[in-house]
Amino acid sequence: MPRLDRLPRILRSTLLTFPAQVNDTAPFAPLQMPLSACRLAIVTTAGLHVRGDTPFIGGDPTFRIIPSNISAADVLQSHISLGFDRTPIIRDLNVTFPIDRLRELASGGQIGGLAPNFYSIMGAMRKTSRIEKETGPAIAERLRNERADAALITPT
Amino acid sequence: MLARSLETAGIATVVISLVREHTEKVKPPRALWVPFPFGHAFGKPHDPQIQHRVLSTALGLLTEPNGPVLQDFPDDVSTDHQPSAPVQASAVAPIANIPDDPAMEGTQMRLYHEQWRGRNGGRTAFGLTGIPATRFRGVVRFLQQFADGVDVDMPERPPAVDLPNFIRLCADDLKAMYYEARLAMKPEMQGEDVARWFWGETAAGQLLRRVRDRLDASENPSWKAAAFAVAR
Repeated sequence: MPRLDRLPRILRSTLLTFPAQVNDTAPFAPLQMPLSACRLAIVTTAGLHVRGDTPFIGGDPTFRIIPSNISAADVLQSHISLGFDRTPIIRDLNVTFPIDRLRELASGGQIGGLAPNFYSIMGAMRKTSRIEKETGPAIAERLRNERADAALITPT
Repeated sequence: MLARSLETAGIATVVISLVREHTEKVKPPRALWVPFPFGHAFGKPHDPQIQHRVLSTALGLLTEPNGPVLQDFPDDVSTDHQPSAPVQASAVAPIANIPDDPAMEGTQMRLYHEQWRGRNGGRTAFGLTGIPATRFRGVVRFLQQFADGVDVDMPERPPAVDLPNFIRLCADDLKAMYYEARLAMKPEMQGEDVARWFWGETAAGQLLRRVRDRLDASENPSWKAAAFAVAR
């Protein structure tokens, strides 16, 4: 789940006909250190942003920066999708954007730490060429400059 | 797709996947498929144990030597309480005798909303328009005039946000305030029941139906898109 056979017909067919990119292979960057030394970033497609930052609109291919030391009270969601219940994230941001859980792992030494910034884009994008050509590479370059070793990519 | 950009730049990635069928096509380098509905990527709200299980399983994939790898999270977590899809306005019949004064009703909701904020360390999903809750009667009036067919706008609308998108943000804020107010009243209430209450029993729900109708009657695709977003 969302297991397609349990979804309402319209939502199921929207997902089945969604123009997902088809790839035969994937680039692969092996992790160069143990997890306990790895600096992590979250990159989310949940349409999250800092309170006061410009909300996302449908089809918006730009990204937002979320400092990794942000308080959960200052993160908002402006996702346009019809397909998900808002109450889980209203109750607990960690269900989509697990900042408190990652901080726990960092203070327990299971991961090396958090990169200074996390990144967010809009999800359910039907036109993805700008994400592929501009937004993705721009986020990658910023993460590299900020010495992130790995990224956890989360949906909503 | 994002994962591919990052890996090309030398950053290892792991994706939480909700739709296995899509992930199989996109083939990110490392992905963990989770058996949860949309909106629940890490299992359940306020359940650090399941959130940590998902997180640790995903991070474990970062140490895989080769890819692409797509692993399934064990399907041993009960998700029976989670509806597979949210309730839309069109699926709820409004009850008779709904109060027809959304401004008055909103004033009452704002008090419950304050309670919610107090209990959650100030956290609220409300705030997309930047207009504070204390001035939300003005937003309700704006939406009422829009629904009545008046050519209306708000000075708070940023120039970069067009009218239908601004209306969508106003609707999202109104819903966030009401949903949080309802959860303050009934903390255990499931999302599906909150949506049924909003669309079936509140004046604000009926106002947003009328806003949707005007947006949907337009030939303009961005108005029509906003109509869908307002009524979910």
